[in-house]
Amino acid sequence: MKINKKVIEELVGYLKEFNLTEIEYGEGSTRAKVSITSKGNEITHDKVIQKKSVLEEKIDLSEKVTSPIVGTAYLSPEPGARKFIEEGQKIKKGQTIMIVEAMKTMNHVPSTQNGIVSKILVKDGEPVEFGQPLISVK
Amino acid sequence: MFKKILVANRGEIAVRIIRACKEWGISTVAVHSDVDADSMHVRLADESVCIGSHQPQNSYLNISALMSAVDLTGAEAIHPGYGFLSENAKFAEITTKHGIKFIGPSSDLIKKMGDKIEARKIAKENGLPIIEGSSERIISVDDAKKISNKIGYPVLIKAAGGGGGKGMKIVNKPDELEKLFSQAKLEAKKYFNNDDVYIEKYFKNPRHIEVQVLSGKNRTIHLNERDCSVQRNHQKLIEETPSPVIDEKIRSNLLNQTTQMVHNIGYEGAGTVEYIYQDGKFYFLEMNTRVQVEHPVTEVATGIDIVKEQIWIANKGDTALTQEDIKPRGHVIECRINAEDPSKNFQPSPGIISVCHQPSGFRTRVDGAIFQGCKITPYYDSLICKLICQGRNRTEAIQRMLRALDEFVIEGIKTTIDLHKKILSHKKFVSSDFDVNWLSKESFY
Repeated sequence: MKINKKVIEELVGYLKEFNLTEIEYGEGSTRAKVSITSKGNEITHDKVIQKKSVLEEKIDLSEKVTSPIVGTAYLSPEPGARKFIEEGQKIKKGQTIMIVEAMKTMNHVPSTQNGIVSKILVKDGEPVEFGQPLISVK
Repeated sequence: MFKKILVANRGEIAVRIIRACKEWGISTVAVHSDVDADSMHVRLADESVCIGSHQPQNSYLNISALMSAVDLTGAEAIHPGYGFLSENAKFAEITTKHGIKFIGPSSDLIKKMGDKIEARKIAKENGLPIIEGSSERIISVDDAKKISNKIGYPVLIKAAGGGGGKGMKIVNKPDELEKLFSQAKLEAKKYFNNDDVYIEKYFKNPRHIEVQVLSGKNRTIHLNERDCSVQRNHQKLIEETPSPVIDEKIRSNLLNQTTQMVHNIGYEGAGTVEYIYQDGKFYFLEMNTRVQVEHPVTEVATGIDIVKEQIWIANKGDTALTQEDIKPRGHVIECRINAEDPSKNFQPSPGIISVCHQPSGFRTRVDGAIFQGCKITPYYDSLICKLICQGRNRTEAIQRMLRALDEFVIEGIKTTIDLHKKILSHKKFVSSDFDVNWLSKESFY
């Protein structure tokens, strides 16, 4: 039997493409099976990605103000009114950054940081979970 | 009878309405927001339509989405429940124009009763005692001063379009008036898009007493009163019938005058006329042109299914009941179970109910929409269910309620169950020695 290198190469390609550990292919009486026993390379690759993202998070020096309650976030005190804060604005600890409405109760969320708002992380009217970052402050 | 009704609400009241429809053999359409897809009212209805996202203005207040759902399902009538669009005159008008029966009074009466100044006028014209105050809206501070001096301080500034305590200002002294008057106008504009305000005498410690009515083209009947004086921030927490503080003469006057007024205005459907009661006198407060949260108290006492009667009147125009059919029995109490933490200033407590055991037994009723594993979302009212107990007298009703509250197990979220146990065991509650401001003054935790 002659080994068709092209088939093997193609199967290895599919292993990587679909992130598989084993693939078997047959045509007529010929069958080829390719497998990665430890999936070594892939895992290492994942680890690198993970490490990279941890690193990125570390590089991101901004602090997050998180939601104290689950509910709906509102960026302004009422529809059409000016937002509590804008990106790039200086804010003080204790200053209201948005409202989170839970069960018809309007909860003013105070900033836990002094600094500059680098990003508002939620949209007006968006549902937020407990502990979800609302803004980042530099 | 109607063949199909669309229930334009959610939670326990939607379940309540679906139950009534099923008993009449009417098929039901539930509408729901995306986050309510797995909720009880959707499961119990014959059909369901998702009408929008979690925010009420996108779903339960979304008139065009609701009308599309009506069109899609071929429903003949809409039951609005309470809250949301139940007292929205425009919604009632639109449904009527499209040949869909709105289960409630005419849009004209909803509009009139929704304007508190207009409602006061109607009450006065029909012989109901009203609180001393301005008969028209107050425009200038000078007029506000004149009327306040005439009534005597403290006075209360109220919004014509108001409700639920919003836009209300208590003025204790003349020098506070100017500032509070302009604040009240601003708030009224903000909340109700109508800066009309009026001034009334302020009552320091009233009880809240209301009369349930059912009215058809043929006649109006009353189903006795409810006393809803256990309140927090103008929100009722416990209701009972009969009121433990009024005597037979006062009661009979109250009931007869209310029935007469409701009949005179040509009201159709179920409704409630609310009063405040202090020093042996009652005064008209407002009329709710819909079914109320606390309606089961009256149902249990009278044996009349108010929601079924609403549907009947909406379909036939007349009520089949006469005053002689109404024979209330014993004493009934309702406790509202809210997803709130009373030990933490009533902080909302959304979450998943991990364990749910609801009480049952002799003269014990639970109206709810909860079950084990259901999710209480933060997007709507905190009321999750109501516990109603009847006794031969008030003492037995309290004992039965305490027994039932003890059986009630809800885990995963915080509720007002424990607070109710404390209130019902309190000597002031037991002796009926309280008013609408009692709860805010008492500390239970």
